[in-house]
Amino acid sequence: MRRLAVLATLAVIASGCSSSSKPSADASAVVSDGGDMDVDGGEIVDGGADASCFDSPTTYLQIINACTDAEKIYKDSHPPLLNADGTLPALPQ
Amino acid sequence: MSRFALFGLMMFSISRAAYAAPPACASLSNPIYVQADDTQTELVTRMGRALRDNTNNPITLVYVTSNSCANVQAFEASTPITSNLSFVPSTAESPNWTPASTSNSCTPPVGGVVPDVVSTSIFRSTCTSQALPSTVHSTQGPIEPYLIVVPQMSLQTAITYEEAYFVFGFGEGGMVTPWEDESEIFIRPASSSVMLSWAANIGVPVNKWKGTPSSNSSALIASLQSAAVAEKAVGIIDTATYESNRSVLNALAFRTLGQYAAYYPDSTSGLTDKQNVRDGHYTVWSPTFWFDRIDGGGVPVSANARYFVDLVAGNTVAPEANFSVIDIIAAVRLIPDCAMNVSRVTEGGPLSLYAPTQSCGCKYDSIVGISSCQTCSASCSSGVCRDGFCEVR
Repeated sequence: MRRLAVLATLAVIASGCSSSSKPSADASAVVSDGGDMDVDGGEIVDGGADASCFDSPTTYLQIINACTDAEKIYKDSHPPLLNADGTLPALPQ
Repeated sequence: MSRFALFGLMMFSISRAAYAAPPACASLSNPIYVQADDTQTELVTRMGRALRDNTNNPITLVYVTSNSCANVQAFEASTPITSNLSFVPSTAESPNWTPASTSNSCTPPVGGVVPDVVSTSIFRSTCTSQALPSTVHSTQGPIEPYLIVVPQMSLQTAITYEEAYFVFGFGEGGMVTPWEDESEIFIRPASSSVMLSWAANIGVPVNKWKGTPSSNSSALIASLQSAAVAEKAVGIIDTATYESNRSVLNALAFRTLGQYAAYYPDSTSGLTDKQNVRDGHYTVWSPTFWFDRIDGGGVPVSANARYFVDLVAGNTVAPEANFSVIDIIAAVRLIPDCAMNVSRVTEGGPLSLYAPTQSCGCKYDSIVGISSCQTCSASCSSGVCRDGFCEVR
């Protein structure tokens, strides 16, 4: 079993959550700790709402994280060249 | 002796039929000339068949294909098409035609012919920063999703924005396992709509991409299939091509910036409902755009060209067509605008909620095998009865 890392972006999403569109769970929480993680592929969840999704999305970040029954794949990805603060370095010339 | 003579005569007749000079395009009934994006070939051929059979307003779509930006440039410079063009015969002319059949050929007039309609599978602003000429009318058509794919033998199921940025922007220097071998990263030419859309969606300009360009989708698929190590191979493709090659390719779910999870274009990897494109969970898509000419008063120069454009866009036309455009759009795995619940205004830009004036989500679902709505014959307890379904609007 492997715990999914908290996505740095969750804080951004949570801060953008309006009172009219609450996530169905605490958006700053870990998304899931269930299921075996395939190191290469990702954890596949068939259907069911995300633990931290938005029921009535209005903003872009809420739309892409809206509650859905669609198949989801949680991927714990940390490319080695990612900057320490989670930002992307400039492309090579 | 007579047997030989008969055989010779038969061979002569067959060879004459096979090599008969193509007709002049102008001799076909009500021709309109279309220069379409090359990802839309099947849409154009199916529409061509239906319009040539459209007894209410029969039209012959005479077409060539090229890439989106070349189409925009050619249209706005009024560059004539000088090569032979294609058209699809009517049912009466060729009862056994299928979308996989080769189209008929016809010859343009001397000096070529300027297209009445051109199309793109990306925003025009991705091709040029120039304002739309006052003589050109732009109409948004069906939605085209784009995919990252791997060979079916690969175990990979998803890719994130960050991973895609490093894979396609850094190549092997990106150190994203297992896609570290640039000879197994298959991309398209910089002019391709697939490249231009993905470039905008992962923040890697087309001139910065690493990998091995394939001249067309077929070549890219062949490269993926013949990869020395399937696990290391990855490529980009349009949805229609992917749908025709699901037996040999797997689409990767994509997680964009700020998203919790990765999603397929469809609600599961095995379905074809495009639910995640339609509701905003899968973000890599562009609208198609269809351009025709207008005069100084904004009136279409060619009424038949506008008739075709309006049909593709899902607008009301007169006289009514005798076929369902939604059926055709769904068959080529595009998404009619009326089945979308999100929209965007720039390539790879943020999504907004969208409510089409006349929704067709229920009809679309029924075509792609999902039973999501109440059926009706006249009225509904809520919504509007259209095409046998209670649509939201």
